[in-house]
Amino acid sequence: MSAALLEVDGLSKWYPVRQRGLFRQHTTGEIRAVDDVSFRIRAGETLGLVGESGCGKTTTARAILNLVEPSAGFIRFEGRDVVPVFREGDRAKVLQIRRSLQYVFQDPWLSLNPRWTIGETLKEPLRVHLPDQPHRWEERVEELLRMVGLEPHHAWRYPHEFSGGQRQRVGIARALAVEPKLLILDEPVSSLDVSVRAQILNLLVALQDRMGLAYLYISHDLSSVRFISTHVAVMYLGKLVEIGQVDALFTRPRHHYTRALLSAIPVPEPGAANTRIALQGEVPSAMRRPPGCPFHPRCAAALPVCREVEPPLTPAGEQHRMACHNPV
Amino acid sequence: MDAPIAPAPAVVPEAGLARTERPPRPPGIWRQSWYRFRRNRAGMLGLCLVGFVVLVAALCPFIAPFDPNDQSAMLRGAARQGPTLTHLLGTDRNGYDVLSRVLYGASTALMVGIGAMMIASVIGVVIGGIAGYAGGLTDEFLMRFAEFFMVVPVFIVILAVVRLFGIVVVGTWLESVPNLSLMTIIVLLGLFEWAPIARMARAEFMRLKHAEFVEAATCIGSTRREILLRHILPNALPSLVVLVALGIGGAILAETMVSFLGFGDPKAVSWGQLLYFNYEALKVAPWASLAPGAAIFITVLGFNLLADGLTDAFNPRLRQ
Amino acid sequence: MLSTLASASRPVAAAPEAPLVRVEDLRVHFFTRDGVVRAVDGMDYVVNKAETLGIVGESGSGKTVSSLAMLQLVPPPARTVGGRILFRGENLLERTPKAMASVRGKHIAMIFQNPATSLNPIYSIGAQLCEIVRWHEKVSRRQAEERATALLNLVGISDPAARLRQFPHELSGGMKQRVGIARALLCNPALVLADEPTTALDVTIQAQILDLLAELQARLHMSMVLVTHDMGVVARMADRITVMYAGRVCETASARTIFTAPRHPYTRALLESMPRVDHSYSGRARQPLPTIAGRPPNLLHPPAGCRFHDRCPEATAECRRVLPVETEVAPGHTVSCIRHGSQGVAA
Repeated sequence: MSAALLEVDGLSKWYPVRQRGLFRQHTTGEIRAVDDVSFRIRAGETLGLVGESGCGKTTTARAILNLVEPSAGFIRFEGRDVVPVFREGDRAKVLQIRRSLQYVFQDPWLSLNPRWTIGETLKEPLRVHLPDQPHRWEERVEELLRMVGLEPHHAWRYPHEFSGGQRQRVGIARALAVEPKLLILDEPVSSLDVSVRAQILNLLVALQDRMGLAYLYISHDLSSVRFISTHVAVMYLGKLVEIGQVDALFTRPRHHYTRALLSAIPVPEPGAANTRIALQGEVPSAMRRPPGCPFHPRCAAALPVCREVEPPLTPAGEQHRMACHNPV
Repeated sequence: MDAPIAPAPAVVPEAGLARTERPPRPPGIWRQSWYRFRRNRAGMLGLCLVGFVVLVAALCPFIAPFDPNDQSAMLRGAARQGPTLTHLLGTDRNGYDVLSRVLYGASTALMVGIGAMMIASVIGVVIGGIAGYAGGLTDEFLMRFAEFFMVVPVFIVILAVVRLFGIVVVGTWLESVPNLSLMTIIVLLGLFEWAPIARMARAEFMRLKHAEFVEAATCIGSTRREILLRHILPNALPSLVVLVALGIGGAILAETMVSFLGFGDPKAVSWGQLLYFNYEALKVAPWASLAPGAAIFITVLGFNLLADGLTDAFNPRLRQ
Repeated sequence: MLSTLASASRPVAAAPEAPLVRVEDLRVHFFTRDGVVRAVDGMDYVVNKAETLGIVGESGSGKTVSSLAMLQLVPPPARTVGGRILFRGENLLERTPKAMASVRGKHIAMIFQNPATSLNPIYSIGAQLCEIVRWHEKVSRRQAEERATALLNLVGISDPAARLRQFPHELSGGMKQRVGIARALLCNPALVLADEPTTALDVTIQAQILDLLAELQARLHMSMVLVTHDMGVVARMADRITVMYAGRVCETASARTIFTAPRHPYTRALLESMPRVDHSYSGRARQPLPTIAGRPPNLLHPPAGCRFHDRCPEATAECRRVLPVETEVAPGHTVSCIRHGSQGVAA
């Protein structure tokens, strides 16, 4: 395959924990929301990023788009280091990156400006990126609406007139307006109803096949991840614990957390083989991360070494890596 | 990969809709709020009252039977006279026609209310907006600054400044500025009433800067200026409009109290002053106190009801 | 209408016992400014003793409102405008609000969706639990506390005596939901209504809570109505399943039948449109998921005839004219689709 489109290397985001005084704030610790995460996405691929709430998957995505500034690590897009570009703030260069990297938000009820018509919302990216061709905007908006399965006359409507699924289509159209190469999809279907969910997933797959887009698909819903992804990365407490090709990871997970996570999903089949691995306890707060392997307090296969040494991400088969001292 | 996207057929098959005529623009958020507002009886009553006061203020030179400074009744010995056909609301102890004074008072009241709130809104939105959007130390500092203005007893400051200013300007060119005291009161009210607006603006800007559609604009590459002016400010306006409507009523009431205490502008025609002149004669000439009192009541009630109606119109979910 | 539906799905409960709850022709309408929204429009179901009934549907299908109606808890502007809810033979809708209060929590209890908001943040766990016990039963404070401790123990909370002194914000999401369950079970109710009890929780915590509910239900022989949109959850938990669409019941059958031999086109489409975690979708050309075209109807103006007809692949002209009536097509399996053996009345 070709070289990686997006390469994330050792990405970390730490938040200081502060206590508020009258004027000053005192730093009393830090939360490692994302800790040393590395992965790559090639053109046409979909990497599913999964994990429970608070595991850092959304922060990872936001760091890639510089919505939060990464504390450490590299993000390379088409071989170019993007973090310094954002830091220097050269508008032409920033726009070039923004143009190829777009974000689709989780909640279609919140991600559209309620005071703008759909047409105005879709014109916004064109205004920013093609300011010199206003005559093309109208036509492009129409084209975008058709592309996501809406109709041209929807451009004159306001978001509140649309259902959740239709809004999410608008969100996707906005992201596609500037012909990006990579879309970051943050739980794009989790707020939608089951019957609409399938429509949006199909749309995403069709768009990808037609335009060769790459996706970073973030979700806690593993069945949609299974459907849409070519590769899957599992996060736990800010760490990447396992990453691999979708079928290998779903059928032969190596990390105990991945295995427990997969087995926890109720399968729509009554009396399905009850091979669940019950996990004890809950995800600890990121402020009180256990030493060693972050998963060891809940892991049935924990060894004494797990309590002390943090396992590195090691190869475990073709395109498969996991971080465990005592893999399945 | 880099090739532009061809205008491919739609993913979801649908009837090929030819480039249709532009359909009528559907009601936007303001228009919708208006539809909701129209159905709110109290709000509509408020709007009518305010509209009435505005109308009176605009037309007072034409509808007032006497000049507001006409004291000729005094010479005729017709001061403190009850309502008659010439003086529909009677005359007060200074021989003024009460009706004319009350009618002219409307424009003063509106000038005070709207002028003060205009100053307060500009300061409040700028300071609150910066605090909310920038956050961190800037926010801390600006909000401490705003809190200072919230704890200062506005009333005492106004009384002191008006009195001091009145002494200072004697003999300077400032003396020739018409209604100087009234201007001073308006500016002071504006300067001391912006803090609640700033707090609201800060809260709104803070909420909106993390709104997903604002982050979406950031991802598109919109500049900070565009985001502030095109995304955040328009969405913050409804809450601020409500606060401003309430504030206008408050400012009118404040000016009335200042005038009632005798610190008002002697050259301006104000309801508070009318009360100040006549409250001692309440038993002898009640009409001279009751009429301006009623005018104050109607105006302030109007603005409060209007604000109430606006709240409901902008936040339909709060009601249900 | 459902009188023939006596056969319980559980092999153990073979004797045709009277059901615990029988809901007949329930109608709940929302009286909004824009008109009447028929959120629940003629719904029938029964809940047998010691069984779990899963009510499945998408948002707006009326599944939550129908369970709230059982406790007379439908929020305004909604009102229960018709039907009967027979609990142990007594119509609950005829009870006065005051008389209803003695049923809530004691005979029928509720587990809420969001554990974070269903507990009052300013009272300790113990205070909230004891209040319920002492409201329904004449017991001393000591006895109430003992009961609360025992229940916290039952729902798997360690060191329950200490937890009683804690406040909701000191507990994690999963813990709060366990407290929510304990609260529902305090008075040993005959029926528990669980409205999306695990939707707000993470998958691994969801698994723990579902296990707990299943275990408690079996141990305490209580009946449960589980309202959810998640087919996986009902597959694991429910004995029988009722599928709702746009305020009406599409199909009711045993869980196995719903998943292996569904008859109603909506049930089938719903099941097919879900991606499955145990299926491989990679390799070859990816097949799109089967979908249901269009979107749920606006219940201000529901479509005439079958509510699903405009999205249904099998719809005929008759479906537009005839309102299907739930009809038993096999023992314990009722369907309301005229294409699949149901009777209908002219709309």
